[in-house]
Amino acid sequence: MLRFIIWRLIHVVPVLLGVSFVVFSILYLIPGDIATTLLSMFYTEERAAMLREQLGLDRPMFVQYGRWLWAALHGDLGQSLMMRMPVMTVLLDKTGNSLILTGASLLIVIPVSFLMGTASAARFRKPFDRFTVFFSLLLASMPVFWLGIALLYLFGVRIPLFPMSGMYNMANPGGILDLLHHLFLPAVTTAATSVAIVTRVTRGAMLDTLSQPYILAARSRGLPGSRVIYRHGVRNILPTFSNMIGLQIGYLFGSAIFSEIIFNWPGIGLQLYQSILHRDLTMVQGCVLAVAIIFVLGNMLADIIVYALDTTRK
Amino acid sequence: MATGRIRKSKASKRSRRSVETERARSTLYFIWRGIRNDPYGMAGALIILVLVICALFAPYIAPYDPQYADPRLRLRGPGTEGHILGLDQQGRDILSRLIYGSRYSLIAGVTPVVLGGLISIPLGTIAAYYERVGYFIMRSMDVLFAFPMVLLAITLSFFMGPGLGNLIIALVVVLIPYNTRVVYVQALAQKEQGYIEAARADATSDFKILFVEMLPHVVSASVVYSMTIVGTIVVTAAGLSFLGLGVQPPTPEWGIMTSDGRTVLHIAPHVSTLPGVAIFLMVTGFNLLGDSLRDALDPKTRLVRAGAR
Repeated sequence: MLRFIIWRLIHVVPVLLGVSFVVFSILYLIPGDIATTLLSMFYTEERAAMLREQLGLDRPMFVQYGRWLWAALHGDLGQSLMMRMPVMTVLLDKTGNSLILTGASLLIVIPVSFLMGTASAARFRKPFDRFTVFFSLLLASMPVFWLGIALLYLFGVRIPLFPMSGMYNMANPGGILDLLHHLFLPAVTTAATSVAIVTRVTRGAMLDTLSQPYILAARSRGLPGSRVIYRHGVRNILPTFSNMIGLQIGYLFGSAIFSEIIFNWPGIGLQLYQSILHRDLTMVQGCVLAVAIIFVLGNMLADIIVYALDTTRK
Repeated sequence: MATGRIRKSKASKRSRRSVETERARSTLYFIWRGIRNDPYGMAGALIILVLVICALFAPYIAPYDPQYADPRLRLRGPGTEGHILGLDQQGRDILSRLIYGSRYSLIAGVTPVVLGGLISIPLGTIAAYYERVGYFIMRSMDVLFAFPMVLLAITLSFFMGPGLGNLIIALVVVLIPYNTRVVYVQALAQKEQGYIEAARADATSDFKILFVEMLPHVVSASVVYSMTIVGTIVVTAAGLSFLGLGVQPPTPEWGIMTSDGRTVLHIAPHVSTLPGVAIFLMVTGFNLLGDSLRDALDPKTRLVRAGAR
């Protein structure tokens, strides 16, 4: 176990290095002078000269990368031109909010898809199973941004059950309950696609398990149906299920970008969108790097959990 | 009796032939048979067929020019006379814009998948065949995997700039790691097969082994994967336009229309939600079709279908 954790930790290092290189070099995709592009509407001769000096633009690319990485490791990702603040400060401010949203949607995905998947497999070809198959099919095809807008219209405008934007009530911030109230719609929006996908996979895995000979053996020994399903069936799909959940983390981060924008959730996704609109390049770079790092670490964590849960290994 | 016996022998002959032809029959046959027997797949094929017709004959089907605006009828809802689906905030006919929009979503959904496949198939095969090169290739893929799909697409299309061409390039890059891994896994399994060893013992050139012997066995896995991913790519492409990347206004693109309509959501919800319905329809079509094709081509599910389902 410990060996696996250490191996997995070591494995993260080259990936993160690669990620940082991609994020760094992406600025160079833009044709033309980088200082000019970076400053865009804030361009003055003197600012450009300062930036060139700061980035070492006259040096070879690898030297520039080294400098950038060194600064990044020390928490310096440059200045946001639009917000006139260090990128790092803004990111630290927003990361927590994004984690709350993604975490909440993960907490929706896990129980809902597990229950729906196993229950529908247990009721194979019964109305509930047909409903689940059909429902997850529709849900899997819904664009996140559209689902968000539809929910916003239905439960924000038409039947104003939930607030339309933000994290807290501005006039009257009310702690955790207020947060949950604001969190509900964006979290559901973020979770939707993943719920559909995981439900389908869970149902498939459960059907596979239930067709195994040992299930038949348990049934013929006279064990009650529920016991067969929940003790003998469910246990065997846990590795598949947890693996699937691990794979969903990326989807959740992607979907979260859209629901943050639609519900005005002050996270990295919304920041990324605003920075894109204002062509604030350093900020965009920072947001991308932040999400990628969280994603890599999240994947690592998921791998370790899957490994710990997988009892068939021994 | 005699005729019966003859008939029987004829039947057995036919069935034996059908077993033989089963192997020889093309992938296309399996695809067709799979879809024909699957109502879901049939529904998907129908949806896509309708959308393709819309895209091809948009000028003949659409009642108005997608850019023609009648400011007097701005924001009128569905059911307005002459405008079945209503009008947007500039007074443009939504149905006509949706019909034209199918072009962009189809192109942005299908082209990257095809191009991505064309790059991934040789890339994955080479990675599996040459271990050292493969190590390098697959580690680079790991780096691309470190970005959530949507985030990578956003990043690339932002830094490359707007336009349908750049959007497609971004989506191709996003797809490559996924498709390459599918090909790689398949090619690794093929590499251990006897026929590759035989070819090597025969002093066949590497080039021939790779592209004549291995490739045909690898392609179907990639095609199946590609079929199931088209829907996701359609959503991603529309999502990028929704964010203001990729295709630019006033193009009647579904993602742009959804995004534009957000400002009038509380007074005219149809402007923003109808294009979403169109995206949803197209994605459903592709997903149904993709699932059906996967089931039709996957021998394992073919058995499952015969038995359990």
